[in-house]
Amino acid sequence: MAEPLLEVSGLVVRLGRGRERRSILHGVDLTVGAGESVGLIGETGSGKTTLARTVVGLHRAERGTLRVAGTDVTALRGARLRAFRRSGVVQYVFQDPLRSLDPDLTLGDSVGFGITDPGDRVADALLAVGLDPALAARRPGEVSGGQRQRAAIARAMIARPRLLICDEPVSALDAATRVQVLDLLSGLCAEHGIGLLYISHDLGSVAGITDRLVVLHHGDVVETGTTEQVVTAPCHPYTRLLIGSAPTVDGGGMGRAERAELRAQLAHAPNGKVLT
Amino acid sequence: MLRSVVASRTGTVSVAVLVFVALLAVAGPWLAPHDPLLQDPQAILAGASAEHWLGTDNLGRDVASRLLAGSTLSLVAALEAVAVGLVLGVVPALLSVHLGRAVEWLSLRLMEALVTLPFLVFAVAMTALLGNGLQQAMLAVGVLVAPGFYRVTRAAALPVATAQYVEAAVLAGASPWTVLRRHVWPKVVPAVAVSTASLLGASLVIVSSLTFLGIGITPPTPTWGGMLATDLQYLFQRPFGPFVPAVLIVATVWACNGIADALRDAPALSAERKVAAHVG
Amino acid sequence: MSADAAVPALLTVRDLSVHTADTTLVSGVDLSVARGGALGIVGESGSGKSLTCRSVLGILPAGLRGGDDTAITFDGTDLRGLDDRGWLGVRGTRIGAVFQDPASYLNPSIAVGRQLAEVLRVRVGLGRRAARDRALALLADMGLRDPALVYRQYPFELSGGMLQRVLIAVAISAEPDLLIADEATTALDVTVQAEVLDLLADLRERTGLALVLVSHDLAVVAQVCDEVVVMRDGTVVERGAAADVLNAPTHPYTRSLVDAHARYGIERFRLQEANHG
Repeated sequence: MAEPLLEVSGLVVRLGRGRERRSILHGVDLTVGAGESVGLIGETGSGKTTLARTVVGLHRAERGTLRVAGTDVTALRGARLRAFRRSGVVQYVFQDPLRSLDPDLTLGDSVGFGITDPGDRVADALLAVGLDPALAARRPGEVSGGQRQRAAIARAMIARPRLLICDEPVSALDAATRVQVLDLLSGLCAEHGIGLLYISHDLGSVAGITDRLVVLHHGDVVETGTTEQVVTAPCHPYTRLLIGSAPTVDGGGMGRAERAELRAQLAHAPNGKVLT
Repeated sequence: MLRSVVASRTGTVSVAVLVFVALLAVAGPWLAPHDPLLQDPQAILAGASAEHWLGTDNLGRDVASRLLAGSTLSLVAALEAVAVGLVLGVVPALLSVHLGRAVEWLSLRLMEALVTLPFLVFAVAMTALLGNGLQQAMLAVGVLVAPGFYRVTRAAALPVATAQYVEAAVLAGASPWTVLRRHVWPKVVPAVAVSTASLLGASLVIVSSLTFLGIGITPPTPTWGGMLATDLQYLFQRPFGPFVPAVLIVATVWACNGIADALRDAPALSAERKVAAHVG
Repeated sequence: MSADAAVPALLTVRDLSVHTADTTLVSGVDLSVARGGALGIVGESGSGKSLTCRSVLGILPAGLRGGDDTAITFDGTDLRGLDDRGWLGVRGTRIGAVFQDPASYLNPSIAVGRQLAEVLRVRVGLGRRAARDRALALLADMGLRDPALVYRQYPFELSGGMLQRVLIAVAISAEPDLLIADEATTALDVTVQAEVLDLLADLRERTGLALVLVSHDLAVVAQVCDEVVVMRDGTVVERGAAADVLNAPTHPYTRSLVDAHARYGIERFRLQEANHG
């Protein structure tokens, strides 16, 4: 296989200042190949969002390598970093479009930002995510939640990315809208051969859109494998508990007793990482 | 922005008053029936007449002409002070938000230091140091109103600087300057507009106080505050005398505050609109 | 529904509606919860599920009123006819409730154990010492590993999952017959959510507590409840035994909820296996 699109190895990230400074990721490895869809799952405090933000340079890596499409992004600073970002190779979709879109700018302005000849391209980008180009004149507060997130995806897609990072892109949406946005994302990635790093705590939306899963627990990768492997035959006790805790509609989940056993096992884990 | 101000009744009246005062200030030299400095020993402390609409003062100078000339000086001085305050307040505030913690710390301490200075004492000290002139006094006033602008600008800019849409812009390769122009500035302008209006009123009061005390102005030059001071000394001879400059000062300050209120409440600028838009 | 005739239901709601001055937000909702039963109400924001709960608890937000034809009967008592004194004997004592944001229901400056003990003294009439012992026992029952430590801790020192357990302890402290949990696990992590749901199921088994579980997630409700009601735009669009609703949803909205899980949830692999096998 050719060089992966995203290559993270031995990534250590510490956040905070002075005495508050804490290690969030302690040596994480991860790859996303071209056109591959990787799910990064974990709960509060697992470091999944920190990892995503470090990949795009919103946090600084303390150690480890971070290569995006062959470029060592940890070495980029200032104007070179901006130039790399303007190239649009990596795009990021945030959880809540109400926060990631400027409330005072029209959707058209937000989507067309940094594009030299916005005219038709904005309309095309909106059409590509299933939005009426007429919505370009509206502000984020004037459209529905699903339309807002579609606009945020349009903003990412207009840059013609090779790697798309989505941080909980559907958890702010209603169940019905959720599926539509997931359909849209998986369709776009397949159509354009985009590599997807999909970050979520919600297994209910991850399984259908990812080829591989990486399970993050307190800053460590505890399990990786194909999505089917991880979901049907998880190895690490935490992964087993995580999969067994996901509410399902088929009644095929784990029993209460088994969950209780796994919790006890994890509570007595040598690294003392208690779940409660 | 003007349309939303005029939408309220207070706003309309305030704008009308300010336009009237501005006309007095601009057209003063042409409207004045007499030379404001010309002394007429024949008519000292005269009452209102066809010759002297508002009478004459203790040296026989035409009060109406002096008021008109004083309008120009008082208003220009207040505007000057506000302009100095704007530059010294808004620029450091924006820099404090975007240039990292060192600049933030320094500018915060500097502004706190300025706030502790007593207004009049500082202005008096400045004129003593730099020479007794209106420019020096207004520079002093400008420095003193700067913290007001600083605080308001910083309060408006700070949440924007940490907003996720700014992160999104940075990820799209936006430079700090682009972020400032595109995202921060539009949110700062309404707040600064409100402060400008209310601090203009405050500056006018300070200008009037200083000139009332004789600071920043040398005697023959007419200003509203200076005229108020002289007229007060001849209260028995011309009991209505102090009212005219006083009313002008009060009306102008009231109008400035009225505009500030109208701006703040304007539906197009208020925070409620943004919240409502989000909920809807 | 035939069982209703044999065993009188604990809670019966007939033709529940909620109105503002000029619009109707909820209408025609019928519910019934058997003693020891578990009813799930599913719907997205604005579906009227929370207003339904609040109507039962008699705590509709200001400006809203229940419909004239609405009848709510709890264990033989007509709740619509209760005055403030009457509610004292029902709300908190016979019907407990937990909501989405546990931190906002606790005083941030008082240790959680003392707050729980105070509830026990006021509602159950226990003495100081007895209340403390009972509070510690309740916290232990909630699966909190070190009840004595939690007793002394302040709300900000506890995680969301622990806070929600403390709130459940408060809600069931007077040994109510019914617990209403309105999006009580929504803000929690998946594994913590499962812990809280397991706790509710345990409580139901051990104490015969009846549950009304409200959630936007059909799967959460399905995990605990026997009966499910699906609401949308203020009306009930589908109801039935949980297994029936999940296996053969009739309303398109319910079908889309189940379909979402089948396509994007972890069920897709199990369903595939089932199809292959």
